[in-house]
Amino acid sequence: MKYRLVVRRVKATGGRRFDVFEVEAEPDESVLDVVERVSLQGDRTLTFEHACHHGVCGACGMVINGVERLACITRIGEVARGGVVVVEPLRGFRVVSDLAVDKSRMFGKYRLVTPTTLEKLDSRLDRVEFEKLYDCTECGICYSACPIANTFKDYLGPSLLAIVSRSAEGRVPAVIDSRAGVWACHAAFECSVRCPVDFKPGESIMRLRRRLLKGEVEVEG
Amino acid sequence: MELVGVLKSWFRVRGRSFEHFSFSVRRLTGVVMALYLLLHLIDISTLVLGKEAYDALLGLFGGRLGLVADSLLWSALVLHGTLGVYSAIVELGYMLEHRRLLLILAWALAVVLIAVGVWVIACALA
Ligand code: SF4
Ligand code: FES
Repeated sequence: MKYRLVVRRVKATGGRRFDVFEVEAEPDESVLDVVERVSLQGDRTLTFEHACHHGVCGACGMVINGVERLACITRIGEVARGGVVVVEPLRGFRVVSDLAVDKSRMFGKYRLVTPTTLEKLDSRLDRVEFEKLYDCTECGICYSACPIANTFKDYLGPSLLAIVSRSAEGRVPAVIDSRAGVWACHAAFECSVRCPVDFKPGESIMRLRRRLLKGEVEVEG
Repeated sequence: MELVGVLKSWFRVRGRSFEHFSFSVRRLTGVVMALYLLLHLIDISTLVLGKEAYDALLGLFGGRLGLVADSLLWSALVLHGTLGVYSAIVELGYMLEHRRLLLILAWALAVVLIAVGVWVIACALA
């Protein structure tokens, strides 16, 4: 079947534009497969991220026809509207190039996460140890979907607060109990609805709030 | 962040969930009520211009226009209130497992209260 893939391009050299690619694809193929095909056969400068191709690494998050999804587990036939699929970079992050965004806003705050939420991976590269979160795929979809994260740049964000909430053993850093922390959330719950692994960040934030209000969690600093 | 970006993010409802839509309604009605407060301050400050000026402004809102304006204001008030109660409950960490149901109840209550309020306003202005 023929699809029209519309890609929002953002390059450091020139402003924004939408490029249109006509592609032949089966409805069961993933959006990521189609984007890859376009990059191989259509435009080698198209930039995007991916790794695992099966919804685990969280690298391929993008906005597909207005909704945040992991492109590798999204069938093109299910999301196309009139044969058209518009792909855009995740919102709430600085765009590096095309569909690739800088997620340091999320990763940069991981020092607040206590080790209980991390699993050490066996693989080693020289002497670097790999660590991965148990549940959250660190895709950043929740940041993109959240109306607060999109408009309040200091907000720590849904995934980070959810991870802290699940790992806090009675103590949290002061920033968690601040305007940039749990108190910024205003119950839009789009994070929980869009999270591809059902991590439910919204609910976790509210539970952490309740524990803070009840004095069950001590605030450090 | 620029205003357009903020508005787009708060009021983006296409492709969004029922929860996000309700968040947008909550924000919008909040803004409407803040604007009304401003309008109301202007309205009562016409008193310093004398009874005629005040009555003339009030007269504007009699009849059809009054019905529409009061109904819209009442609807905004009710929606902000009912969705606000829903929000307060879940934001304190309660009923999280049943938040969808709670939200549906908040909307149902809002619809009933809006209908009753508009009927009362219509009777009063008739
Ligand atoms: S909480 Fe869900 S949406 Fe957010 S980064 Fe983790 S996996 Fe992605
Ligand atoms: S490529 Fe890993 S989640 Fe999509």
